[in-house]
Amino acid sequence: MSKFDEELMQLKQTILRMGAMVETALKDSVRSLVERDNDLAKSVIAKDHQINALDVEIDEASIRLIALRQPCAGDLRFITTAMKITTDIERMGDLAVNIAERALELNEEPILKPYIDIPRMRDVSQRMIRDALDAFVRRDKQLAMDVIIRDDEVDDLKHEVLRELLFFMIQDPSTASRAMKISFVAQYLERFADHATNIAEMVIYLVAGKIIRHMELPAQDS
Amino acid sequence: MEVQLVADRIELEVKGLDFYYSGNIHALKNINLSIAKNNVTALIGPSGCGKTTLLRCFNRMHDLYPKNRYEGEISFNGVNTLAPETDHIKLRSRIGMVFQKPTPFPMTIFDNIAYGLKLRGIKKRSELAERVEKALTHAALWDEAKDKLHASAYDLSGGQQQRLVIARALAVEPEVLLFDEPTSALDPISTAKIEDLVGILKKEITIIIVTHNMQQAARISDWTGFMMLGELIEFDRTDKIFTAPSEKLTEDYVTGRFG
Repeated sequence: MSKFDEELMQLKQTILRMGAMVETALKDSVRSLVERDNDLAKSVIAKDHQINALDVEIDEASIRLIALRQPCAGDLRFITTAMKITTDIERMGDLAVNIAERALELNEEPILKPYIDIPRMRDVSQRMIRDALDAFVRRDKQLAMDVIIRDDEVDDLKHEVLRELLFFMIQDPSTASRAMKISFVAQYLERFADHATNIAEMVIYLVAGKIIRHMELPAQDS
Repeated sequence: MEVQLVADRIELEVKGLDFYYSGNIHALKNINLSIAKNNVTALIGPSGCGKTTLLRCFNRMHDLYPKNRYEGEISFNGVNTLAPETDHIKLRSRIGMVFQKPTPFPMTIFDNIAYGLKLRGIKKRSELAERVEKALTHAALWDEAKDKLHASAYDLSGGQQQRLVIARALAVEPEVLLFDEPTSALDPISTAKIEDLVGILKKEITIIIVTHNMQQAARISDWTGFMMLGELIEFDRTDKIFTAPSEKLTEDYVTGRFG
């Protein structure tokens, strides 16, 4: 393996490490809410700087590679994709922190209702980020398409949650503060899934050399 | 290849070109490509891929050696330049060539440029002076050379000599200029000057350049052809070739993973 290939591999590893950290942050943040675990919520918040550090590391490594190696074709697409998806992953980390912050607030108050759709949204989002990064590593266009399609599922769940919360608020206005916070959490999860979708779209650019953002979904071909 | 050029913008069209060096060495195999007018077309590929051989077909340089053989056609504004009746000398003044190493003649700067003009029957001193100035200006050398026009061309630096040679080629007002690795013997500053010059010249002429420097091809060309083992593997817009080539071989070459 050439030195350049080694450097590209290293970049890929760093992205995967960052992705794994965000996946954990998401899982823990929702768990801290569902299980009312303040320590876990605090640890999610405390660990966010590690994700931010990797974001900077990936950007620096990418800029260095562009300057020193003048990459083109597939290498260029890989490095520019890395730079873009790291921004998405970093924002996902921030959203996990936001969920943990709301958890800390909600854990101070009595439970409004058992959380059912929120963990469901978490499960789908978590799969989405994992598959998006898998697709990135394996350059798997089909899997990336699949992630993009799954975004609708999270959107539907969010609407379901918001509808339900609205019902609570109408019936008993004293629940408004809690219901608002839970609806924020649903919002964060929905945005988390959006970032996973962005990553999947970048993977399609990486593989096919075609930017599909802001387009209708192309007809599925192999 | 999906590339389609509009017909009236085509300067040269290569159709089913095969080329054999003496001894029947099959150096080019069924080459088909169109060279767009007032564009820069770069030919890239590993050593021995045939890019220089192809470049030399355009102005029949191969005819300087016996027993070289062409098959197929190169249409230059509708006329097949590979036809036996082609006047090579006339063709080479319409399709000029600049080589890897600067090749000034052992004479003054002025005479280097006036030489070709005199051969074409221009005798009047005032006209010669005018054409020399125009050519040197075109080649971005006038400011540096105007005070030493009657000094030896060898007094110029390598980069200046290369621009002198370009000026000499431009003096006879060619329609096409062929560049064979024009900057591989030059430092980065001189290289940048030649590259800028190519960008300016293409407004008036069509340029085909062979280069080993892929970044140079990326910087200055509009179209890029990637060749290997005598075949044209891929031909497309330069930005396509360097961001998302269609052929695996091209990808391997431009990313330096060849072989």
